[in-house]
Amino acid sequence: MDSISEKHIENGKTQFLMVLILGIITVFLSLFAMGQGSSSNLDMMSTINIILGLEAATELQSDIIWKLRFPRILMAIIGGAALAVAGSLMQGCLGNPLVSPLTLGVASGAALGAAFAIVLGVSVLPYSNLAIVANAFFFSLIVVAIIIQLGSLRSISAESYILVGIAITFISGAVVSTMQYFATDAQLSQLAHWSFGSLSRPDLIQVLAISIAVLGLMPTAMKWSWDLNALSIGGDEFAISTGVNPAETRRNMLILSAFMTSVVIAFTGLIGFVGLAAPHMSRLIIGNDYRKLIPCSAIFGAFLMVFADTLGRTLFAPIVIPVGIMLSIIGGPFFMYLLLANRGGKK
Amino acid sequence: MKEIIDVTNLNFSWGNNHVLKDLNLNLKENELVSIIGINGAGKSTLLKCLNRILKPDSGEISIFGEELSDVDLIELSKHISYVPQSIRSNFSMDVFDVVLLGRRPHIQWMIAGEDREKVSKTLRYLNLEEFAFRRFDQLSGGERQRVIIAKAVAQDPAVYLFDEPTSDLDLKNQIEIMKRIKELISVPESPKSALIAIHDINIAARFSDRILLLHEGRIIADGTPQEVLTTKNIAEVFNVTSEIVNMHPNYIRIIIKDEINEKKTNRTVIL
Repeated sequence: MDSISEKHIENGKTQFLMVLILGIITVFLSLFAMGQGSSSNLDMMSTINIILGLEAATELQSDIIWKLRFPRILMAIIGGAALAVAGSLMQGCLGNPLVSPLTLGVASGAALGAAFAIVLGVSVLPYSNLAIVANAFFFSLIVVAIIIQLGSLRSISAESYILVGIAITFISGAVVSTMQYFATDAQLSQLAHWSFGSLSRPDLIQVLAISIAVLGLMPTAMKWSWDLNALSIGGDEFAISTGVNPAETRRNMLILSAFMTSVVIAFTGLIGFVGLAAPHMSRLIIGNDYRKLIPCSAIFGAFLMVFADTLGRTLFAPIVIPVGIMLSIIGGPFFMYLLLANRGGKK
Repeated sequence: MKEIIDVTNLNFSWGNNHVLKDLNLNLKENELVSIIGINGAGKSTLLKCLNRILKPDSGEISIFGEELSDVDLIELSKHISYVPQSIRSNFSMDVFDVVLLGRRPHIQWMIAGEDREKVSKTLRYLNLEEFAFRRFDQLSGGERQRVIIAKAVAQDPAVYLFDEPTSDLDLKNQIEIMKRIKELISVPESPKSALIAIHDINIAARFSDRILLLHEGRIIADGTPQEVLTTKNIAEVFNVTSEIVNMHPNYIRIIIKDEINEKKTNRTVIL
């Protein structure tokens, strides 16, 4: 084997090691997060021992771990991973680094669904404790259906998808604003709380269902890695000359990422930043090769979400700051620092 | 020589602008063919029709006897590699990984050792080894152009379609790249051909086996450089006077002199 091939293999190993280290840090951070909370004297070691079955737990301890902390941390991991992967897929297939899972209007659709349920009491699952979630999911699926219809149009461009997404966002926003205008104080409060983005809403069964859906979709995303590489680096003409159908790739990846986003934000509310930042942070570590970028984004997204949520739970305990807010507050400056440092901002 | 591509009565329009009109051409094994013509003559459009980037209004295109539209896109990319003038991207990769994209039609998902070897050999062949692990977006325009050409070479197709492959290159690299392209298509055991849209008629004259002169959507001359690049043809198509010089035993040189019938207008030079 020649020196260039060897160097390429070496670089791949180094990148794999960096992603592995990030993964290990995320696992330890998650275990640490499991031990954090003001409601009990469950420290990190006791929590780990109880989870591994090495220590007997009281009923209260068992409830705290399995009904509160474990679903929350798992939701952070899966939600962060799903939104980060969705963001990376959308950025790649639209060739636009400014895109995030919220760009296509999926989140606005979900917000519209939530507003219908909260303000008007109209839901696809009325009189259920899942009325808001079901409505948010249903309305975001309507946006996915619009994307599917757009994809069937001949020669729809990346820009057209983005512009339609912006239009959907404006329309949904206008309808939600109208409902807010006529809403009661209690409804307004509930709607505002939904939009903050929180990991405390889904229970263990729901989180496991979300996990199965998200993990089931990941291999499909990985399968399209080469196509995303060609499309993101060279655009449509370059992709075609490499044997990639840009329209088909774009359509499939947008449907996949929109669905992943829907599944998560229907349960958590609006969490936007992780889907924009995690893919870019991952690119700084391992570049734009989607065979590595998808898993790295997933891990980075999980890391950011667990970190932000843990900080939000502990910083002003017992007050809990919603993860959506924490992510933007701590992630924003960190993200700006990484980008500027990498691009050599010095004159 | 065996025919690789055959085009019959090809028509293409951009709206009401009829760009290609009943165009016929063929491309044979081990042949380097240049297409020359003025801006907007349809050179790039023709290349894009041949790679299914654009869909013609009518006409037939066949590759190895099979209708182009019937060939699966992955299979087509094993036969044809199109090299655009330049690519713009908001994302970046190492040069090695960009060239590795040329192996995309040949691999499933995992990279095999032979694919890496192919990329390494290609980088060395095009004197790009020092760029292998530099970021593609940090290269100059000319360096990027050579990397895209390397990607096409690593793809190992039967037909190269080059759109202005030397437009961003310095003089030495223009000659260097054209020599490499000529070498690649001259190996009898590995029959390949190249169709090159190019503005530099001296480069075309030196390296082409055949030149197609595209004018107003039609090929008005098709033959060896000596047959096509006449002062009459150059005057008709490019509206310039020229002189043909036989200073080299193997190829002609064209010296462009001046515009014909320059429009006399009251232009003011604004400084």
